[in-house]
Amino acid sequence: MALSQWIDGDESALGMLARVLKERTSLVVPPLHRVPLRVGNVVELVGPSGSAKTQILIQAAVNCILPKEWNGIRYGGLECPVVFIDLDCRLDITRLSQVLKLRILEAISNGSSNTGDRENFDALYATCLRRFFYIRCYDSFEFLATLKTMHHKLQKERDDLGVGLHLLVIDSIGAYHWVDRGSSSLPLWGHNRKGFSLANVLEAAVEEVRKLLLVHPSIVIASKATIFGDRSSDIVRREESLSESEPRHGKPDGGLVLYREYMPSAWQSFVTHRVFVRGSDEHLTASSCEHQPTYFSEWLLPSLGFLDKFIVKNAGVFLVP
Amino acid sequence: MAPLKSLEQVCPLIDSNFQTFCASHGIFTVEDFLIHDLYVLAAFAEQQPASEKLKQGITQILSIIDAAERQPWMNGLELLEDAGENKHVLSTGFEGVDVLLGGGLREGQLTEIVGPSSSGKTQVCLRAASNVATNYNAEVFYLDTGNSFSPQRVSGFVNWKPGTALDRTEQSMLQQVMSSISCHSVFDIFAMFDVLHQLEFNLRSQMCKRDRRVQLLIVDSISSLITPILGGSSSQGHALMISAGTLLKKIAHEHNIAVLVTNHTVGGDRGTSKPALGESWKSVPHVRLQLSRGAGSNVCQASILKHSSMPSGMTVRFVIYE
Repeated sequence: MALSQWIDGDESALGMLARVLKERTSLVVPPLHRVPLRVGNVVELVGPSGSAKTQILIQAAVNCILPKEWNGIRYGGLECPVVFIDLDCRLDITRLSQVLKLRILEAISNGSSNTGDRENFDALYATCLRRFFYIRCYDSFEFLATLKTMHHKLQKERDDLGVGLHLLVIDSIGAYHWVDRGSSSLPLWGHNRKGFSLANVLEAAVEEVRKLLLVHPSIVIASKATIFGDRSSDIVRREESLSESEPRHGKPDGGLVLYREYMPSAWQSFVTHRVFVRGSDEHLTASSCEHQPTYFSEWLLPSLGFLDKFIVKNAGVFLVP
Repeated sequence: MAPLKSLEQVCPLIDSNFQTFCASHGIFTVEDFLIHDLYVLAAFAEQQPASEKLKQGITQILSIIDAAERQPWMNGLELLEDAGENKHVLSTGFEGVDVLLGGGLREGQLTEIVGPSSSGKTQVCLRAASNVATNYNAEVFYLDTGNSFSPQRVSGFVNWKPGTALDRTEQSMLQQVMSSISCHSVFDIFAMFDVLHQLEFNLRSQMCKRDRRVQLLIVDSISSLITPILGGSSSQGHALMISAGTLLKKIAHEHNIAVLVTNHTVGGDRGTSKPALGESWKSVPHVRLQLSRGAGSNVCQASILKHSSMPSGMTVRFVIYE
């Protein structure tokens, strides 16, 4: 009996596929829509300042906290909590609430016509915002302390909300690069002591996030600002021609993508997906006769070779052809 | 953070036995503790004679770290409430600039003005100082790095009638406005850190005791403090720059102060000009505003380089001298 059960297998491929597709909901955020993001993925969003990185993070957070469906109206969200770790003191909560509001209103106007339920809107809005958690850090040690103590708090929230963390946002991972680099040269008293070098601190942080993901399976999206300007472009070329994993990326105007990796290898090997975003000089003339800056996004890992164009409107990030 | 030894008084679990165990793994302070993998440490503790007590000690330190965290978790609703109640928008006194900034300087944010020499940066700072001191009954903390603070100019902004004598009420109002703007001359970044730490200390100790509080902090110009320490192969200069940015943002957020800094421009490639503080600084301010002014003209042009909620690229013109 037991043997035949074992031979029969647990489920058919069709059954498994149905189960997997149901369980593994993926997060789709333009301009990161080319690859559906799943639990366990670590996405790095790299780009110069002013390339709409934080806007994309806000968009991802909103997509996650919105419900799938509420009172018969489809919102297309994941209905899951988000933790936003702000290392750069940058998040503008009013912006997040603006995007959230507009998204809800849009879905309501598309959905059923029995509008006028103001209470419904407020309740949904508050429920969504309650799924968003925000932590602010001022240095690497606060970041480490946050990661080390996060597990217990997350567990508590999981009990309260009924669902566990689904998206961990870090904005931006390289914020303390210079400070940690400066402090690494200081000698420490005591033997066999681990130095506070950049690599050690980041390694400890990566280790903590990795352990956290084991207990709270979720997607990690981290933004990273490029901190070297045009002047180091020669370094980019040299490094890119040396390494096979980072092939050259042509810009439309023939130049190279200007960004130099500065994160320690512990972080680099932790990242599973990498997207490069940048602004462009061209402005899209919208119908409201207001010009809108356009941005480009490009997948570096996996290297897809697509160049997507997007704009940031009041209601969030939108792709343009 | 503290050496483990100093925690002994607070909790008896961290006794000398625990300390020797930690020291054998190179852990002397709470920072050392943070950088270590605690699961590995707990596994080592398992092999020790008094393993239960050691493991309790590890949990104890974790809970101390947890309690010491000054920044509690906030959910979106609490954040919005905080923003609505405590993060006001302060008008700069220039209508055009206010429109660009979405109402004015936001408390809790760091706003940067970029522009070449004599493009009106200091004028915007002085006007904002006088406007905030006058209309919000607030104190202004002004860090002057190039002796460009002009009390005459500020008092000129306060009362607009040139030539006419002031009556008594105007006189006392002027006095009050002028006395609520405190100007501090700083000529290097270390002096600035000194002044800012002092300010932070004062703010923390005087919290909710005063009828008037500091609502605007101006550093004119921050680039003249930072550019001298940049350059060379050492990263020390960059570390100081980022620390200064973080400290300013921390003060801004925790004490609900709008921070306004100025950044001059230098010659870049191909004859263009670019902000003196480059790529690494770019991600520090919440809002960046570019100013420019034609020679001899009194009309300034301002445009958004970066803003947390307004589209970049918007431009307005405004007049500084009337």
